[in-house]
Amino acid sequence: MHDPAVMPRRLASFLTQHDGDRTATVVAYDAMVGGYSRLMARADIQWSDGTTETVVLRGDPPPGKAMMETDRDSEYALLRVLGDTSAINMPRARHYDGSGDHLGTKCIVLDHVAGSSLQTILNETPAGERGGHAHDLIDTLARIHSIDVDSLGDALPRPSGWDDYLSALIDRFRQADREHIESMPFLRFVAAWLDAHRPPPLPLRVVHSDFQPANIMVGAGGEHFVIDWELTHIGDPREDLGYYNVYSSALGPNLFMDDPEGFLQRYRKRTGFSEEAVNMQTMAYFSSLAAITVYAQVLRGAAAMAAGHNGGLMTTYTLNALTIGHGNFMAGCLIDNGQETA
Amino acid sequence: MLSRPTTEQIVLDCRAELLSTIDAAVTDPAVKIAIQMMENVLRNCAERAAHEIAWMREEADAMIAFAQRVRAVSTMTDAARAEIDTTLDAFGSGRSDSLHLDDMTATYHLAGVCMSAALEAAMASGDSALQVAGREVLQLRLAHEQAIMGEWSFVGRG
Repeated sequence: MHDPAVMPRRLASFLTQHDGDRTATVVAYDAMVGGYSRLMARADIQWSDGTTETVVLRGDPPPGKAMMETDRDSEYALLRVLGDTSAINMPRARHYDGSGDHLGTKCIVLDHVAGSSLQTILNETPAGERGGHAHDLIDTLARIHSIDVDSLGDALPRPSGWDDYLSALIDRFRQADREHIESMPFLRFVAAWLDAHRPPPLPLRVVHSDFQPANIMVGAGGEHFVIDWELTHIGDPREDLGYYNVYSSALGPNLFMDDPEGFLQRYRKRTGFSEEAVNMQTMAYFSSLAAITVYAQVLRGAAAMAAGHNGGLMTTYTLNALTIGHGNFMAGCLIDNGQETA
Repeated sequence: MLSRPTTEQIVLDCRAELLSTIDAAVTDPAVKIAIQMMENVLRNCAERAAHEIAWMREEADAMIAFAQRVRAVSTMTDAARAEIDTTLDAFGSGRSDSLHLDDMTATYHLAGVCMSAALEAAMASGDSALQVAGREVLQLRLAHEQAIMGEWSFVGRG
């Protein structure tokens, strides 16, 4: 994938080998823009039996050029098992080059979804006409959080319980501070605040962990296809609510902010979670907590760059996401002194 | 050395050239997005070049003053006080008055370690006045980060 000039030939050979009967010809191959963590490309395929189709490739950037490091083996295993459960619409994972011998880097070949991302659609939708999209978004999120975690086998690690899980999640702020190349005082402040303001527990569920409209493709009939599962884990489902809130506040539009109470009410109805567990306070709590997964990845990229092990425009460009994170931490972790929380 | 035009001016001039000359000659969408990202990074660099030494010094002073204030609170636990003492000692022995960037970032880091320990101790103390004071120091740091960031969005996401 790192050399687009040779990809049509290599991809055609790879697909032909996997098919066994037909011969593939790649008639178009184009890099896709908009993906931040992985290389993406789209290829139009002509098969020897006369059929045509489009596939999407999702591969690792060259060594030392990734803004975050995640594991393609784990992602492919998860995509396969999620696809088997049929619990959520997503592009089917077709093939995997786990060695990079065929496609030049570890690469997953996926079905192509004809349509636009929800982010693109929202960008073109007037503010007063977004209500239907908000409902669809909530329903998609609720479907992810309703996946039976037992159906996933060992594709994702299972935390021992909610208390231990939350403690470990909070401790990731301290861990990020310890491991970073320079001190980040925000992190221990947030960790201490989160420890002191723990919410009521919820059952542990599948957490997408990068739940944002750019990772939802909308098909011709309006159906949602969720993509980009590389950070998915078993955790507290409110992480996705909080992450959605902070991400969409930065990029816009934020469908939660259009009608916060209505948003949470629908989510509670779709998931069966209680108002004690899902409310404005817990939304604020998880808006501070949830960003740590992506934040820690970006921070690691920054540390690697400072140490001379990593580089590339994406790493430097996304440094500002850390500042966005710091702003969210400060907005969420208010002091109970009768002024800040009033 | 030549001090004028300043580094900030030179970097901003490169940014202007990138936008007026290079971007105009490019049609590839992926390269267009890369140019937008570079434009942003150059703007960040110009702002940092103009202020980072002064800002790091200002923040370091504020962080050390806060750590010393927390250290002096009588209700602090022995463990918290010991950690703050250790970090303040490390700052005292490792700090430098040099304005060379590497020296300044090292001093700034040591002050940040003191601040981290003091913030967690302040949160554990339940002293809301102390906690608010700690937040104010973080707000100063955040204000500087946001000035460097300027206007920023996820270019190309959609």
